[in-house]
Amino acid sequence: MTPSAGFTKGLFRDNPVAVTLIGLCPAAAVTGRVIDALWMSVGLIFVLVLTRLSQTILQAMLALTESASQSSPSTEARPFRWLGSLVFASCFTASFELILLAFVPDESASLGIYVPLIAVNCIVLERFAASGNREPVRNIGRDIAKSLQESGGLGVGFAISLIAISLVRETLGSGTITLFPIGSFAGTIEAGNVSLAPARALAYAGGGLLCLGYLAGAARLLGRLKGRRLEGQGGTEAERS
Amino acid sequence: MWTACEAGNGWELCAIMTESNRGMASPQLAVSPAPHVGGLASSLRLNWSVACCLLPAAAWGVFLFGVPALEVLAVGVGTALLAELLTGLAWGRMTVRDGSAMVTGLMVGMLMPPGVPLYVPAAASAFGIVVVKQSFGGLGRNWMNPALGGVVFALFSWSDAMSRWLPARGAAEGAAALSPLSALRNALAGGKAAHGGLLALLGANGYPWSAADGRVVTWVNGHVLSILGASLPRGAFDMLVGNIPGGVGVVSVPLLLVGAAYLLARSVIRWQVPLTYLVTFCVIAQLFGGLPMGRGWLAGGMLFQLFSGSLVLGAFFMATDPVTSPLTRWGKLIYGVCLGILTFFLRYFGAPGDGVPLAILLGNCLAPLIDRSTRPRARPSGKAAMA
Repeated sequence: MTPSAGFTKGLFRDNPVAVTLIGLCPAAAVTGRVIDALWMSVGLIFVLVLTRLSQTILQAMLALTESASQSSPSTEARPFRWLGSLVFASCFTASFELILLAFVPDESASLGIYVPLIAVNCIVLERFAASGNREPVRNIGRDIAKSLQESGGLGVGFAISLIAISLVRETLGSGTITLFPIGSFAGTIEAGNVSLAPARALAYAGGGLLCLGYLAGAARLLGRLKGRRLEGQGGTEAERS
Repeated sequence: MWTACEAGNGWELCAIMTESNRGMASPQLAVSPAPHVGGLASSLRLNWSVACCLLPAAAWGVFLFGVPALEVLAVGVGTALLAELLTGLAWGRMTVRDGSAMVTGLMVGMLMPPGVPLYVPAAASAFGIVVVKQSFGGLGRNWMNPALGGVVFALFSWSDAMSRWLPARGAAEGAAALSPLSALRNALAGGKAAHGGLLALLGANGYPWSAADGRVVTWVNGHVLSILGASLPRGAFDMLVGNIPGGVGVVSVPLLLVGAAYLLARSVIRWQVPLTYLVTFCVIAQLFGGLPMGRGWLAGGMLFQLFSGSLVLGAFFMATDPVTSPLTRWGKLIYGVCLGILTFFLRYFGAPGDGVPLAILLGNCLAPLIDRSTRPRARPSGKAAMA
């Protein structure tokens, strides 16, 4: 596995929203405006990466104490891993919530309950489960690098999906693209004639699910096309990766 | 899926079913259960006969509202055909010739208010064909009626434009064009109270009935009903023939009934769904319809409700869509009752439109469940069969 493979896997092949279909609540709920999707992605990347980092370090520390005390590994330590991971996730989520509240209060109000919910986001929980059953640690540095790559890839993959959905939804559903103000740019792009009579059905949550469905469909279509191409070259996708 | 054919639901229905299944099988070896009827030709015939039966009511809309109504119909049908053609090209499966897209487009146009901005019927038709029908696998595999899906999309997206009506031909000059249902809503919200039925209420609040209505109602009251000691309120004639603001193809109940009668006679549609739908709705509306209006029990004005909105078009032409309605005989009856109840609640307790499109879509969601629970089973002859 090349060093960057763990990162790119989360971007496309294991894209959490489009392929494995986890973390869908924010994908349907906060994609009404592009800026919401951006901040949600920032929050998830923040929490996911830091939680995974702390978790790996905790795991390494537990492994060290285990090997020092010569007790049977992992069976005793597992509850602590889960507990520790949940505490980490809650702490980082709370910190992100406070950061938003302090510096971008409007956005904090707009995202609402979906920021605190990052602590129990399926992508974060899925990482706990995946790491809980792992082999004991051998090389701490490599483990940390790997966890950063994986969680970063998943986070950026989540961001790509959310931004794609929100671009479609906001352009067609509200006729605008809301970003942040930079200099003389006010932060909102008007989408031409669409802004006169936008298709508001897409701005509702149902429209979010609709876009989500088409994104997942597109991901499967691309995956199938890619698989066919690799087959034509004499190797399946599984052999390649 | 075959129960319908066994229950004798008309050969056209079976034709659709066999056709949709043939799509799943390989093209060389089309394995499909009996009856082996039809193919593209019969599906085409079915759709053309539905379209022809819709035409009188659509023509009435064009006569009543003029060019804007024609534009809405043309854009609806044109966009539906174009969308079907393009998705057919993309999917590699040409189905534009089976006529179902034309019927979808025509129904979209008929449900639209005349004079609506033309992107609304275009978007509704395109949504119906691309999202509701083709994304789920094309004709026979859509779980929702494409035309209604598109119309509900438009209702949620452009609700203002979808409730702005054009005055009917012969209406008083300068009067605001309100459909009877919205006029009723306004009258209840803050108008003058009146004794008698809902038409009397509308009349007391100055609803602009046409001059023709005045002449006919006066003549009937003077020459016929006076002998019996009864009288018709103003507006009865307008409501009956559909000389009122409303959707392009939904205002004329008699012409819709003529089309429906032909379809019923040819067994293209069955009586179960429309009858139970309309009867359930009328009974509930008459019993409880007066309560939300503060008029008490048994004062719902079911005839007014029956003749306003898209109820008749929905009941005969959309609720009976063979793809999205239950196939079993009992299932159809249950389905009709469900639709009646849903329509009552959606119409009286605030939904966009007149409640019919959303009610039928919700009914479409229930249809597979109804089918599953009413599927005829082989009678067990003993304990062995039970196990």
